[in-house]
Formats: sequence, structure tokens, C-alpha cells
Amino acid sequence: MVWLQLLVNGLVTGSALGVVAISFALIYATTKIFHVAHAGVYTLAGYLAWSLVSHGVPDVLALLLAILCCTALGALIQHQLYARLERRRATHLVVLIASLGALAVIQNVIAAVYSSNILQFPVPWSSRVVTVGTLRLNWAQILTVVLSVLAYAGTMWFAHRTILGKQIRAVASNPFLAEITRLRPQRIYVIVVAIGSAIVALPGVLVPLDLGLQPYGGVTPLLTATIAMIAGGVGSITGAFVLAVGIAVLQNLSLLVIPGEWSIGVTFFIFVIFMLFRPTGLFAKAR
Amino acid sequence: MIKVQGTRRAFAAVVTSVLLSGLLRPAMAADETIRLGAILPLTGPGAVVGTQEMRGIQFAMDAANAKGGVQGHKIEVIFEDNQAKPDVSVLSFNKLVDLQKVPMIFTGYSGPSLAMAPLATRKKILMINAGAQSDKLTKASPYLVNTLPSTGDEVAVMAKYLVQQGKKKAAVLFENDAAGIGGRDDFLELFPKAGGTILAQEAVQFGQTDYRPALLKLAAAKPDVLYVVITAGMVPLVQQLKQMNPDFLVAGTTFMADPAAIADPASNGIIHTQVQIDAPPELSAAFKAKYGDDMDFFARQYYNAAQIMLTVIDKVLSEKKPVTGENLHDTLFAIRKFQGLIPMEFKSNTATVPIGINKMENGKDVTLLQVTAE
Repeated sequence: MVWLQLLVNGLVTGSALGVVAISFALIYATTKIFHVAHAGVYTLAGYLAWSLVSHGVPDVLALLLAILCCTALGALIQHQLYARLERRRATHLVVLIASLGALAVIQNVIAAVYSSNILQFPVPWSSRVVTVGTLRLNWAQILTVVLSVLAYAGTMWFAHRTILGKQIRAVASNPFLAEITRLRPQRIYVIVVAIGSAIVALPGVLVPLDLGLQPYGGVTPLLTATIAMIAGGVGSITGAFVLAVGIAVLQNLSLLVIPGEWSIGVTFFIFVIFMLFRPTGLFAKAR
Repeated sequence: MIKVQGTRRAFAAVVTSVLLSGLLRPAMAADETIRLGAILPLTGPGAVVGTQEMRGIQFAMDAANAKGGVQGHKIEVIFEDNQAKPDVSVLSFNKLVDLQKVPMIFTGYSGPSLAMAPLATRKKILMINAGAQSDKLTKASPYLVNTLPSTGDEVAVMAKYLVQQGKKKAAVLFENDAAGIGGRDDFLELFPKAGGTILAQEAVQFGQTDYRPALLKLAAAKPDVLYVVITAGMVPLVQQLKQMNPDFLVAGTTFMADPAAIADPASNGIIHTQVQIDAPPELSAAFKAKYGDDMDFFARQYYNAAQIMLTVIDKVLSEKKPVTGENLHDTLFAIRKFQGLIPMEFKSNTATVPIGINKMENGKDVTLLQVTAE
């Protein structure tokens, strides 16, 4: 039953990646900014929670405070960096470079404050094992799946059922038209980056609960999430989430037939072929 | 005309006196600081090891300088951060050698050391490695000296021990870099020679902490023993192994001796080879007082390597030779036997030192037996 455990492990990893993907998709589809610094926000969330837990703050409160801090950081990045650059008519490339700079600053500050060591959360419950038949999962993995699916469902509800969600979709669809209807796109951009940062803080804390913290550990999840977003169809929250889960499951199951070092290469090769046949993404029509 | 001749004479006298003073003066003025280099990972996934290596060197140098240095010369070590990356290491090497004119460099990690080895040969710069163990390091350059045995030496000891214990079917988890691939190749060669069989092998990336897919695949091969050759991320590894509740033994090299992993209850029962090097209690206490951390294996290794260099520099200065890479190299092999934290002999570029087989038990790393590998 190795395949079953690999499948479940893929679902765990994929659900966390899925949340990164929907948060990035939400920001990109609305602001059109390739927000690379999102990887820094993701990483910072884990370190903030680690600091709080290490100082005796209850685990749930630490998670909520980390989410709150990341929300503020996201709003700050949009308001003080991207908005300023847009006012000065900076090109997309300049904004991308600024975002890369912000990522480097966040990573270096984390490395300077916390060192580059791999840090483990001082929460013994997270590594306790639950056995279901032949499956063996720890609490960190179970929590990751449950909260990630809830985060996806919550994001879908927010985007489609709330006024703010509809306003965001309106700005994403046509910012000029939205401005005519007094939606103030710049205000919406700040809100959407803040919300995206809050969402990404969730896997930012849950994944290190299981695998530990590294200052430069946010880039690979963001890269995979970006590919999931594009393959899923830019603007589709469901597309980004499903494709992220699909990539992680495929990477895990591919080990049954190929060596591990080929897994990433083969998985992404399949996606390159897929994109050749469906360049707009799998869920493009669902927008 | 006379004036011109006088000027020429005066110029000739100045040139002659300058040349003579150069020939007659000692190899180095007594108060001149001797600068050495160190290229280690001080950031990135290898930083925990690199920082301890840096401390080991600096601790030895500070002690020597506090006593007046080596024959009146203060010793300064210039540290460069290579992030354990070969390309960054080459840039750092050139910077230290061409700009700072250092005659020797402390190095660590196999990939970076192998990348710098041809430069060391060409520029005659002595490189001392006290942390990396790829077999390729033993013959990479006549100027690359290793103060610990290669992975091959450790693998030979472990392969023999495992077969003696009846663990004859093995799977291998290795890091996909110079150190991991070298260790994997050694095990693939030496374990069957000792009477064992290899069932499966899987690679992971340096710094990766999700080992579950690879571990599941290897466990499916139903080995008696899982042989691990990775250099970072030991705590997640032992926790994920514990989660699997494996029915096989887990064995590894010196790389497994991460203090955090040893302290984790999940590591109970893991065995590994260990290059033996102990520090006296008073030395360990002084180190802890200074840095707030225990003097771990890597700090002890680099402290020992720094002591070797201090001995070699002392001998070079005694013989009134300039402190060049070539002279340091030749003098090291002329001395050959060193009594630092452990007795060490250089019959080749790689030192002969004792190797132990240790078992992690209740937060301690207990030595089961000890052998000396050539």
C-alpha cells in the first residue's frame, strides 16, 4: 500500500501548496503584479509563530498573530512599494525587481535574526502519529489538510458571496471601469494583497510545523504555486488549488516508477506539454 | 657631467642597498600579522556546521594570539561565506589569494573544496579540509590536505560491521551532491564486497526536509538496514523515520551526528560511524563560555586543524622561511605526525585517525566500538 501513503502525502503537501497558489492567484489576477515577495511573507509567518510559541504564547494565538502581522506586511508592501512605483509609472519589470528586492530583504532579515539553521517548532503534539489502517500521519499533516481545505472554501465564499469579494473581482476584471463606478482600485489592491498575505500565512505556519523552518524555504513553494496558477488558468481560484494538489500528488506517485531525482523534472515536463495544448490553463473557462 | 655621475652613483647605491636589505632581512618582520583564509558556509542550510567550524578556528587563533602569537606574529583568519556553493567558493578563493595574499585556506564541504582544488594546485596555496569527506578529496590536489578520513574509510568500517550484525540487505538514501553521491558510490561498492546486497537507492536534494516519499519507496524494498548519506536536515529525517515506525535499522556516517538529532527521542537506535575527536573538559567549557554553544564535532575538528597550522607556521618561521603555501605544505609533510586533540599522521594527503561506531540512545551518542582505518 505504498501508493496509498504516497497519494495521501501528496494530498497533504498539495493542499498547503494549493493555499499558496490561491493567495498568489488572488493577488496576481487583481493587481497584475508578480508578487515574488509573497515567498518572504510565507516564510516570515512561520518564524513569527515560532518566536511567539517559543515565548510561551498558546499555539492558536501564535497562528492568529502571525496571520495578523503578515496581513499588515502585505498591506505595507502594496501601499509603500507597489503603489508608489505605479504612481511613478514604473514598468512591470521594475515592479518585479522591486518585489525581488523586498523578498531578499525579508529573507536576509530572517537569516540575520534567526540564523540559517533549520528550526523546529517546540510543539511535541505536531509530530505525534495517528494511524488509520496502514496510513500513518502526524497531527501537523492532518491539520494542514483540514485548514487548507477550509481556507480554499473560505476564499471561494469570500470571492463569490461577499460585497468586498465581488468588488475585488470587478477590479480584477476591469480596473478602469471599476474606477468609474467609484471602486478606487488602489484601495482594493491594498486590501487584496493584505488578504492574500493573510491566506499565505496559514501554510507558512502549518508546513514548518512538520518540516521545520528555513529562511530561504519560501521560494520553491511559490514557484510550484505559480506554475499551478498558470496551468490552472490565471484568475481561477479552483484551478490554482486543484493544479497545486495535482502537481504534488503527481510528484509523489511518480516515485513508484522513476527515481526521486527525476520526479520534479518529469512532473514539470508533463505540465509543459499540457500547456502547449491548453495555454490558457485548465480552468480558464470557469472565470 | 660630474653632477650626473654623482646622481647615478647615488641611485645605484640606493638600489643596491634596497636589494641587499631585501636579501638580508628576515623572512618576515617580527610584528607582522600573518593572514590566513577560511571559506565556509556561514549562511544557508550549511550555516549551522559552517558557523561551528569558524568558531573552532577562531577559538584556536584567539588562544594563540593571547599568548603573543606565533614567534611574535599575530595570526588573523579572514572568513569568507561560500553558502556551501562551489561557484561562490571559487570567487572567494581568488579574492583571498589575489587580494589578501593568504598562503593557506581552511575549507569544508566536498563540492566547494573540489571546485577550489585545481586553483590551489596552480597557485600553490595550502588548503586544509577538516569537515568534508568525499573520496575525491583525497586525490583532488597535492595542496589539499584532509584532517579526517574520507567517507570511503567510514563506509568500509560500517559495511563490515553491518554484515557482522546480520544486516545484509540495504537501501541507500543519499544527498544529490558531491558528498552524498561519493558516500553512495562507496556503499554500493563496499557493502557487496563485505557480503551484503543493495536493494534500492533514492536521492534527496541538499536542504530538503521532506524525506517521506523517498523513505516510503526505500522501505517498500524491505531492507534490513537503511544507509543514510545526507549532510543537513537530520531532525526532520529522524522524526519522519519515527513516523514510519520502520522495521529496519538506520545507519549513517559522521554527518548524522547533529546534536539536535541526537537529543531528539526519535533518533533512538540509529547507529553511525564517527570520526573520533574529543576535547578536554576545560577546553570545552571555555568554548561554551565564549560562544554559548557546545564544542561539537565540527568545532573540535577545525580547532584541531587550526592547531596543526599553528605548529606548521611555527616550524616555517623557525627555519627562517617565508610563510608561503609551498613552504607550509612541505613543512606539514616534513612534520607528518601531530598530537592535537587526537594523534594524527599524514602518510598521504588524508590523515589516519580512529573511527568509532556510535549508537544514539536517550539523547546520548554512545560509542559501541572503535577501529583505525587507513
